[in-house]
Amino acid sequence: MSLNRVIMLADCQSFYASVEKAEHPEYHDRPLVVAGDPERRSGIILAACPIAKSFGVTTAERLGDSLAKCPDLVIIRPRMQLYIDISMRITNIYQSYTDLVEPYSIDEQFLDVTGSLHLYGTPEELAHHIQTHIQSELGIYTRFGIAENKILAKTACDNFAKKNESGIFVLTKDRLHETLWTLPVAKMFMVGSRMTRHFNAMGMETIGKVAETPLEKLKQLMRRKFGKNSDINAELYWRIANGLDDSPVTPGTHSVAPKAIGHMMTLPRDYGKLEEIKVVLLELTELVCQRCRGKGYMGHVVSVGCMGADYDHPTGFNRQMKMDDPTNVTNQVYRAAVELLLRHWDGYPVRKVGVSLSQFSSDDEYQLSLFDPHRDKTMALERATDAIKQKYGDAIILRAVSITPAGQALHRSEKIGGHYK
Amino acid sequence: MRKKLEGNGLWESSRMMLPEHKVAINEHEKALRQRQRVELDEQEWEQVSRSVTESLQQRQPVTLRLFHPAEELIVSGIVDRVDQMKGRFMVDGEWFAIGDIEGADMEE
Repeated sequence: MSLNRVIMLADCQSFYASVEKAEHPEYHDRPLVVAGDPERRSGIILAACPIAKSFGVTTAERLGDSLAKCPDLVIIRPRMQLYIDISMRITNIYQSYTDLVEPYSIDEQFLDVTGSLHLYGTPEELAHHIQTHIQSELGIYTRFGIAENKILAKTACDNFAKKNESGIFVLTKDRLHETLWTLPVAKMFMVGSRMTRHFNAMGMETIGKVAETPLEKLKQLMRRKFGKNSDINAELYWRIANGLDDSPVTPGTHSVAPKAIGHMMTLPRDYGKLEEIKVVLLELTELVCQRCRGKGYMGHVVSVGCMGADYDHPTGFNRQMKMDDPTNVTNQVYRAAVELLLRHWDGYPVRKVGVSLSQFSSDDEYQLSLFDPHRDKTMALERATDAIKQKYGDAIILRAVSITPAGQALHRSEKIGGHYK
Repeated sequence: MRKKLEGNGLWESSRMMLPEHKVAINEHEKALRQRQRVELDEQEWEQVSRSVTESLQQRQPVTLRLFHPAEELIVSGIVDRVDQMKGRFMVDGEWFAIGDIEGADMEE
């Protein structure tokens, strides 16, 4: 492995639950879960500690089901900001071993330790060292997949390091035939239940079968199922199965300018009246525009999506339109969003609404519009409200419609990623 | 679509990041890039003041490296005035702090 890179994917075990256990030592030996909405039995489990899992509690099931399996369960309300802070402290610890750290999610980060190994010995020794460091400083157990590239490191972590005693697994290329390739195709990265069925129907039941299929053959097979545009996905799956990945660990990856900025919200109940939907549409538009203004972007294309509650009988739409000029003024974007809603909404109740802006240009300079002589004034107002919200929180100043029963802005300002801060 | 196969595309298209987490990461990165002031020793100071004086008296262009928390700041031109009282100097009508100077080069 000396000539190759040494990449690690470090993952935190039951992250939210582990953070809460470290914060509440009194629950150390009790089964503990973090649940979306502890007051409601229909709230879902966001994370379960290993003890809770030993009772059969699983992530994403309903709280009521978990309580049936384990009545003694300690239920904790999520604290998303704390989890972000702890995740950043973990990043800091990784960064004391290598400057090449790329957070991949709140509980998974890639590390390129090629240049640090001469100080610490073998990759396993270094991983063990970091693992002990994090355990003693934060009380969180981390697992390490180690390989020569990111996809194999991720695979090593998900399929092997999470299951063995040490929490550390090195996956080398020459041993793929007795490790990765023996696994069922469902265990492959990026393959869900739908794709598993398709691969099985193509006669590929293990990851090894996908890997040994010549790329051209796989493209052909997939074209038959998914049409002409499936070549790229075919190559993607083929590379994943073969453990081919030359992407670098990229620390600056999150500062890349986004292509679109959007917000989506699942509503607490079905919204059936146009007036109600318009309220959340305005609230979402406000959030999107606020973020664009913060970044100095104006968007030219607005898209709106609405979805019904019944996932088995999907209703709703997702449409976009180009506005006359790029803008980040809430009322202008809202006008376009309402136009889309009126044109495409089928009248069925809506459970999920999303708004996004794309095709950005900088807001340093803009087209003077004959139809909007008040632009400077509007912009000054937006800047003032943004500054107030920045300082005192999003809930400090609201549109009047947000305090009607349909409004969600107050509720949403207490949350991160749809869960309590 | 093609992007998934290039650069960091596979990971950028598959990750789940909370916007609030991204902001925290970017702020942390910015803090890491914060520059520290460079302390000049006597000799270096002498060289800096010689360059500034020379520029001021003989109207010679000079290039000065100045401290800035986030970026490399270079001021080049002719020093028009030096205000010892307020610890500042003027190039091209703009005042800069003398204490921020980290190095100087006379242009040939």
